[in-house]
Amino acid sequence: MCIVFYVCLEGKEPPSTMSNESEPTNPLDPFETMTTLWEANLKNWKSMRDTSLDSWSKTMIDTVNSDEYSRTTGQWLDTYLTLSQPFRRIIDLMMTQVLTGLNIPMRSDVTSLAERLTNIETRLDDQDAKLDDILSAIKAFSIPKPTTSKTTTNNSAKVKGAR
Amino acid sequence: MSASSSPINSSALQDELKRIEENTRTLLRVSTSRANVGQTPKQVIWTFNKAKLYRYIPVVPAEQRHKVPLFLVFALMNKPYILDLRPGNSFIEYMVKQGYDVYLLDWGAPGIEDKDLKFDDYVLNYLPRAIRKIKAVSGCDEFTMLGWCIGAILATIYAALRPDDGLKNLILLTAPLDFTDKKAGGFVRWVNDEAFDPDKIVSAFGNVPGEMIDYGAKALKPVENYIGSYLTLWDNLDNPRIVESWHAMNTWVTDLIPMAGATYLQLIKELYRENRLIQGTMVIRGERVDLSRIHANLLNVIALADHISPTCQSESIMTKVSSEDQYLLKVKGGHIGMMAGSGALKFTWPHIDSWLADRSE
Repeated sequence: MCIVFYVCLEGKEPPSTMSNESEPTNPLDPFETMTTLWEANLKNWKSMRDTSLDSWSKTMIDTVNSDEYSRTTGQWLDTYLTLSQPFRRIIDLMMTQVLTGLNIPMRSDVTSLAERLTNIETRLDDQDAKLDDILSAIKAFSIPKPTTSKTTTNNSAKVKGAR
Repeated sequence: MSASSSPINSSALQDELKRIEENTRTLLRVSTSRANVGQTPKQVIWTFNKAKLYRYIPVVPAEQRHKVPLFLVFALMNKPYILDLRPGNSFIEYMVKQGYDVYLLDWGAPGIEDKDLKFDDYVLNYLPRAIRKIKAVSGCDEFTMLGWCIGAILATIYAALRPDDGLKNLILLTAPLDFTDKKAGGFVRWVNDEAFDPDKIVSAFGNVPGEMIDYGAKALKPVENYIGSYLTLWDNLDNPRIVESWHAMNTWVTDLIPMAGATYLQLIKELYRENRLIQGTMVIRGERVDLSRIHANLLNVIALADHISPTCQSESIMTKVSSEDQYLLKVKGGHIGMMAGSGALKFTWPHIDSWLADRSE
């Protein structure tokens, strides 16, 4: 809670009534004393914090970009995956037995179903593409070829007459 | 306590307590809730497996709009709404207002049934279908493709394999393409270590968990990501602008999705380790990816402080393509900050717009 209090104060202008220099300050007021102290030390503390974070950041970036770090994390990951493999197998086997016993579809069943759906979707999209091609061909075919203005007028007249 | 100072200090104390209460509420809110992201109006015009293609509702009259549609392709392991983070800080909103017909491909989160998806599938199965739909909806046979991070790899491969498919402009953002330098950046070092076995990871998990990828990205700058970010929030709890920006970015950063196992293997082995793409030896469904076949207008945007894709990984493509119209833009900022940071609106977005506007007619 103290930290929240500190953060809330930082970077803030004190209320105008408090900042009035002619206003007598009360050294026995714990809130005012604390505020004054915080404000007095705030800039230094923040500056120190940022400086130390910067240097820490540079050190960490150098560390993660080193060959030693690459080797260590690679080996750690490899060890974890190797050691966890038997457990994963056991869990998979147990789950398969339990789900089969309960007559519930397994992950592989759902996966297989999803794959089939994707295949159907692919075919549908292919059909959609063909349909688009056919529609655009029909559209292109049905649009009258540009002719002279006289002919256009005649066509318009025919359409009007048909109506 | 004197009679004159007592009421004043009591009021100040109340103010401070109220401020503490408000800041505590703010802290709890931003650390336990999701920001309202991706608010630019859009509609889904195509779906395929987990992928969705969005078209953003134009706000500029049709006659004033740019003719060539803009197709955005983001990375596979993060949500694409980083391009539409929040009103006033959204690349998509900005481009829509500039008169572009904007489309965004959301790859979705791969399920275990998608663990065998490879770059081959994304490039030759997903992208052509989405592009066909864009052409049908926009009524334009040409398009601009913008790829960011892994999305830039996909866009580059597509541009090389289908150079005559109407791709007029290719925009690459922080594209990790050239892995010649095996000491450039943490990722390259880690995955090139002989103790690192990607096959074991994929064998154990199927798809690579989002948490693992997230750890990798954050571990590149551990102090900034695990401490500095929270200190920034802490220091600015009474600044609504910074708090809301932090909230939106934190929502995106913690919104993790896995990466299809086969794609991960391809990324690590064929790209990071064997550097096949830039060497011209990468093969996608039997077709060699020849970068010299790319002849679309090329804008390559590089972030100077990019610790995920160091500049050396993105620059060399300029000499590999056949594009006569090519432009290399180096901007200040990091891998994400370049496009979603506070400076993006002032620098990166206007530059992309000014380059693209003339080439979208």
